[in-house]
Amino acid sequence: MKILLIEDEPALRSAIVDCLHQSGYACELAPTYALAHEKVKLYQYDCVLVDLTLPDGNGLDIVRTLRADRSAAGVLIISARDALDDRLTGLELGADDYLVKPFHLSELNARLKALIRRRQFQGQQQLVFRDLVVWLDHTKVLVHGEPLTLTRKEYDLLLYLLANPNRVLTKEAIVEHLWGDDSDAADSFDFIYTHVKNLRRKLLEKGADDYIQTVYGLGYRLRAA
Amino acid sequence: MKLLTKTTRYYVLLAVALFALGAGALYGGLSWALRGEVDEQLLAQRQQLLTAAARPRPSPLLSDSLSVSRVPLPGGLHDAVRFDPAGRTLVPYRELSFPVVRGGTTVWVTLGISLLETDDLLGVVLTVMLSILGLLLASLVLLNQWLARWLWAPFRHTLRALRSYDLQQRGPLVLPATPIDEFTALNLTLNRMSARLAADYERLKEFTENAAHETQTPLAIMQAQLEQLVQDDSLRPASAVLVGELYGATRRLSRLHQALTLLSKIENQQFAQAAPVRLDRVIAAKAQQLEDLAAGRAIVLHVAVAGVPALTMHPSLADSLVRNLLQNAVKHCLDGSRIEVTLGPTLLSVANPGPVVAGDPARFFERFRKHQAASDSPGLGLAIVQQICHYYGFTLRYDFAAAGAVHTLRVGFPAAAGLGVKK
Repeated sequence: MKILLIEDEPALRSAIVDCLHQSGYACELAPTYALAHEKVKLYQYDCVLVDLTLPDGNGLDIVRTLRADRSAAGVLIISARDALDDRLTGLELGADDYLVKPFHLSELNARLKALIRRRQFQGQQQLVFRDLVVWLDHTKVLVHGEPLTLTRKEYDLLLYLLANPNRVLTKEAIVEHLWGDDSDAADSFDFIYTHVKNLRRKLLEKGADDYIQTVYGLGYRLRAA
Repeated sequence: MKLLTKTTRYYVLLAVALFALGAGALYGGLSWALRGEVDEQLLAQRQQLLTAAARPRPSPLLSDSLSVSRVPLPGGLHDAVRFDPAGRTLVPYRELSFPVVRGGTTVWVTLGISLLETDDLLGVVLTVMLSILGLLLASLVLLNQWLARWLWAPFRHTLRALRSYDLQQRGPLVLPATPIDEFTALNLTLNRMSARLAADYERLKEFTENAAHETQTPLAIMQAQLEQLVQDDSLRPASAVLVGELYGATRRLSRLHQALTLLSKIENQQFAQAAPVRLDRVIAAKAQQLEDLAAGRAIVLHVAVAGVPALTMHPSLADSLVRNLLQNAVKHCLDGSRIEVTLGPTLLSVANPGPVVAGDPARFFERFRKHQAASDSPGLGLAIVQQICHYYGFTLRYDFAAAGAVHTLRVGFPAAAGLGVKK
């Protein structure tokens, strides 16, 4: 998987690249509009991450170029601009997703995975993780071939964990992934604890390994091995 | 009252007063002069009569209007009324009585002159005066109508332009020069003022956007790097907790900043576009999202829709309004109780049982006002609700019912909500 990261902020760039490498992506960098434009014209990418405010141009123009060239690359906009107009313009121009800064890297990871999946596999999609199989189109989870009944939030939580194997998912990232803007309504993280506890119990009941690990003071991690 | 009506009223009042005064003075002066003339005539006649009586052979000259009496009469000039047999009416007279000695006997003679002609003269004068007054008043009214129509037209145009002026849509005003210096000066001043206003507004908008962008970028760096730090397996557990807390703090800072940016954007009226909003759908969607958060604390979220207000507002503000109201209710609701959300054509109310809070209800709408000081939330939810209500002209009321300690927030929508929203 080859990804182009267009981002002018060096510190943010290195953190994102780090995360993408850990997730097994090959990542190229473009800190300026000019360089980004050149790379987009010359090479093929599976996905392009675009920051909108670049020192020498507007990221939206990169999106335009990609779409004009009928590129197969998925486009994910990462921007500090949170105006509805920017979002709409970005999506109208053909971006697949829009992530507002600051974001959780685990969220970026999950969105990226979903985006690539959507673009590359039409039809049946399944995720396999150790003794677990998830049929995404039917929102069905099998443990050792046995169906597992989950609530909507437990299913979403499981997918989020599966998108970030071996990464520590912070409580904040999980709350915001599951409840988005409404995470403010929950003043404590107790209910995540409940959800994780239930998910883990259900998995164990079906004879799955205990791969959801609690990281004290931080959050949870899905152990791949 | 219109300026012209007001000035006309004073003109008319002044004119009427002056004319009344003038008419009175004229009447007084004329009648004084005419009466003096009559009196002089009478005195001259008496002189002639006395001269004639002193002669040996009296002339019959004055016999016609002469009445003679042997009974003594009070002497001097006086007014009297006589019966005129020809016209069969009473006629006012001016009379002069005096004694005449004739042949050793004294007789009392009374001379008289009719005042009928004098009164007629006065009548004519007053009629003329009054008709001039009427004419003057009528022409004043007509003149004012003309002034209102022609002279004040540029002013009315300016007023119309100001009334429909919208900073966000059209930038500075462009008002033309007029044939009247004062109006031209007014228009020029307004043009300059609106240009300054538009520039300030643009600067403010740009500043808010830049501030948002410039603050979120370092926050994004902090957050991303902390998240990468957390992935480090060599991190000691004690340090990991510290990093976790730092991470949480950057999130809070970022959310706080987003809320403040939203508030200042509403204050700057940057949510001009509006679309019809079905509030019942917004509420249903939000309620569903909050359901399991509420269920975690055994809270039941009950939504009753009695009617849907016809609202025209910015979709994200409608979303924000409902979200903050519901979140506030869930946050402060007692575990295991019931939140009642009621939507009617002119009302949205959210009621939840909560802890008893003392103090002025207005304080709940203040920024950074929290129920618990240690709470993670920045305490801006109700401030945002209030700002949105203020922006669209909705009313917002907070009630506390001691029975059951129920807190209720009511948003009242005007009957024709959202039609003429911008202020």
